Amino acid sequence: MIPALGEFALWIALPISIWGCVLAFLGGRWNRGDLVLSAERSTYAISILFIIASIGIIAAFMRDQFQYWYVYNYSSTNLHPFFKFAGLWAGQRGSLLFWGLNLSLFASLAVWMNRSRNRDLMPYMNGVLLAFIGFFISISLFVTPPFEQLGFTPADGRGLNPQLQNYWMTIHPPTMYVGFTSFNVPFAFAISALMVGRLDARWIQATRKWILTSWFFLTLAIIFGMRWAYEELGWGGFWFWDPVENASLLPWLVATAFLHSVMIQESRGMLKVWNMGLVLLTFLMTIFATFLTRSGLIESVHSFAQNLTIAWIFLGCMGITGAVCLVLIVWRYPVLVSERQFESALSRESAFLLNNLVLLGAAFAVIWGTMFPLLTEGLTGSKVAVGPPFFNQVNIPIGLILLALMGIGPVIAWRKASARNLKKNFLLPVAVLVSTAAVLFSAGVRHPYALLTFSIGAFVLTIIVVEFWKGTRARARIERENAFTAFVHLVRRNRRRWGGYIVHVGVVVMFMGFAGSAFNREVRQSMVPGDSVAVDSPFGHEYVLTYQGLSTTLVPSMRQAIALFSVEKDGVPAGSITTQRQLNLAVSPPQPISEVGIRSTFVEDLYLILATVDDEVLLGSNEPEFQQATFQFQINPLVPWIWYGGLVIAAGALIGLWPGAGVPTRTGRLGTGSRRQDTSTPTPRSDAAATLG
Amino acid sequence: MRRDRRFFAGLVGVAAVVSYLIYTGISDTMVYYLTPAELLTRIEVSPETRDQGVKVSGMLVPGSYANSTDELLHTFVVEDPDDTSVRMAVEFRHPLPDTFDDSGEVEVEVVMQGRYRPDGVFEATEVLTKCGSRYEAMPEMPQQAGAGAGYGGLIG
Repeated sequence: MIPALGEFALWIALPISIWGCVLAFLGGRWNRGDLVLSAERSTYAISILFIIASIGIIAAFMRDQFQYWYVYNYSSTNLHPFFKFAGLWAGQRGSLLFWGLNLSLFASLAVWMNRSRNRDLMPYMNGVLLAFIGFFISISLFVTPPFEQLGFTPADGRGLNPQLQNYWMTIHPPTMYVGFTSFNVPFAFAISALMVGRLDARWIQATRKWILTSWFFLTLAIIFGMRWAYEELGWGGFWFWDPVENASLLPWLVATAFLHSVMIQESRGMLKVWNMGLVLLTFLMTIFATFLTRSGLIESVHSFAQNLTIAWIFLGCMGITGAVCLVLIVWRYPVLVSERQFESALSRESAFLLNNLVLLGAAFAVIWGTMFPLLTEGLTGSKVAVGPPFFNQVNIPIGLILLALMGIGPVIAWRKASARNLKKNFLLPVAVLVSTAAVLFSAGVRHPYALLTFSIGAFVLTIIVVEFWKGTRARARIERENAFTAFVHLVRRNRRRWGGYIVHVGVVVMFMGFAGSAFNREVRQSMVPGDSVAVDSPFGHEYVLTYQGLSTTLVPSMRQAIALFSVEKDGVPAGSITTQRQLNLAVSPPQPISEVGIRSTFVEDLYLILATVDDEVLLGSNEPEFQQATFQFQINPLVPWIWYGGLVIAAGALIGLWPGAGVPTRTGRLGTGSRRQDTSTPTPRSDAAATLG
Repeated sequence: MRRDRRFFAGLVGVAAVVSYLIYTGISDTMVYYLTPAELLTRIEVSPETRDQGVKVSGMLVPGSYANSTDELLHTFVVEDPDDTSVRMAVEFRHPLPDTFDDSGEVEVEVVMQGRYRPDGVFEATEVLTKCGSRYEAMPEMPQQAGAGAGYGGLIG
């Protein structure tokens, strides 16, 4: 009953989206407020209908209604309710509906937040969003129908892929969809600004926070995905440069470029075409990513849904959208001319521009590496493979350039840096850079990229710490506050700037975590109970692991073989660690699943894999003769820093996103705000630098 | 148009660096992606290619998998997807992905990176499995047991 209602809701949503889309554009064109309002109500109505449709799917999963093709293929009676709920996005059909749900909710949110603002832009913005919503409704009705019935009711479903039965399944995909779909709103704002021809700072202001929000969710989703892949055997570690991973990185790179270059537009009135292009390109990249991951044209370990029809539809959608964007930009080019010109290559503008070019260069390299095998095969007929070595070789130098710019950009002067400015801001950080490199080198670190990452990272951290210190000290002196209060007020007064710095700290920490993989240690060993193995970590610790034995247990629909190790670190007992091999009996044929053992400390992970056990063990034998097994022991140095860095990035982005007047703005260009910045004499430091904010 | 020239100089500079990185990256790391039959033909035609790293994709032969618990060593046989008479033995010394299944109940495509040894064994350094029916690549229509019977006899 409920699923039928859900399908019915979807059918009603289609005409409403078409109706609303037409009304929105006509209302904008004829200046008819009543039509515009009606179109906005359509958006609200569609959100409610999408919610009903999604409840329909979830209900079908919860009640094991296997007469639905989608439920039959992605669930089974013994599946945990968590994963039944996650069925909404477990497969192609549900996930495209889920996409539509997210999109309609974001559209409603955008319409509601702008119910009394940006009224001249809203009709077109809403119209663009409704067009995309209509596109997704049509896909869910005609191409990948989630409510399709089999015509009879199988006794049980085929079950969910055991590799997806992981708690990350309930966290990672929805975060990714939220990040992806929310990019549609800034895109719609950009298009409406182009159509209306109002290309002053207002659309940028309306868009910036949305993009930062989308960026925040996309960043989280990528980090969650890294963590999941790190725990899952056979997915190649936290980052494998797999096409599916690359697909999520592309919009992230372009959006990151925008978040930086938008500051130049806000404070200097330059790069308007560029920023417009970046917003449009970010959205196009989300469609491209969808095309990449769902086409099956490109091989991936995550081998998701493969459907050529869907691939062509998304490719077509991207082509049409891209063409429309191009036409609009060319049409409005005269309005998008810069107010100012670049004055010096040694300036903050140039550093930001370089950051942008490098980020786009990285995006281009990732696209190229991902598409190269396909292109070569199409052009020459011979198949080639381009893998992680390629991406690492290209992207590590690019990443190091970005890392260095992260230090230079925030403190180099606007317009033209003087020798005094350079010396004042860079003397100490460069000294720290050199001494870090010297200390690490004398400690025996010879890996060039690792040396560079750590020393450039130290350079960036020094610059950020000095900035925080200067700001806090100036504020403490002027406002007569103690250091802590001054610090809190400093951050609160310009959340965007200081939040951005905190994000940079997180990125530095994360990059150091990546660099740690240059020092991975790996030991493979066959063992019988009582055997010990010693593994040295690059930090000088020695782990001795003693194999205590295997035990098998039978839990419902799963047989587990658990290997137990006692751990000694530097001669001191340090608890125990287990690693498992399971046999999931709920799917046919039963599938083995490895549960790696991870023991984290602040600087390194001990990572343990049960590689092979005797088949008898998985059949349930606890006999001593089958206790011999092979293991892989790894020390993954600094991997925990990736997750710490991720937390810091999330915290910084949240500070930047926090609602309220956290951003002092410049007079005239952004409407409201203080006039103080227009003087060139640096008044209190915290204000003078606020232009960056 | 001083500004434009600067801007484009930067653009060209970065484009040049990125292109150089991509070009050297591809030429240093690119490997051929072959089926077992193509690999064997290639080595026969030009023996000097024997030591080049390649990526090979073949179908796992059911029942061919063996391992030892004395050392971490997996051995199995793959066959050419187009010509099943061409088979190749594989050795792999790292943990296998979970989806590796030689029961024969599902078709497993194995994608391996490595080197073909003179003794006729492919020494893999990396193994990925693609297992169609496990993922959603090939969801299937259930077969109805008997005409008109809606229930029973169905294997999930």
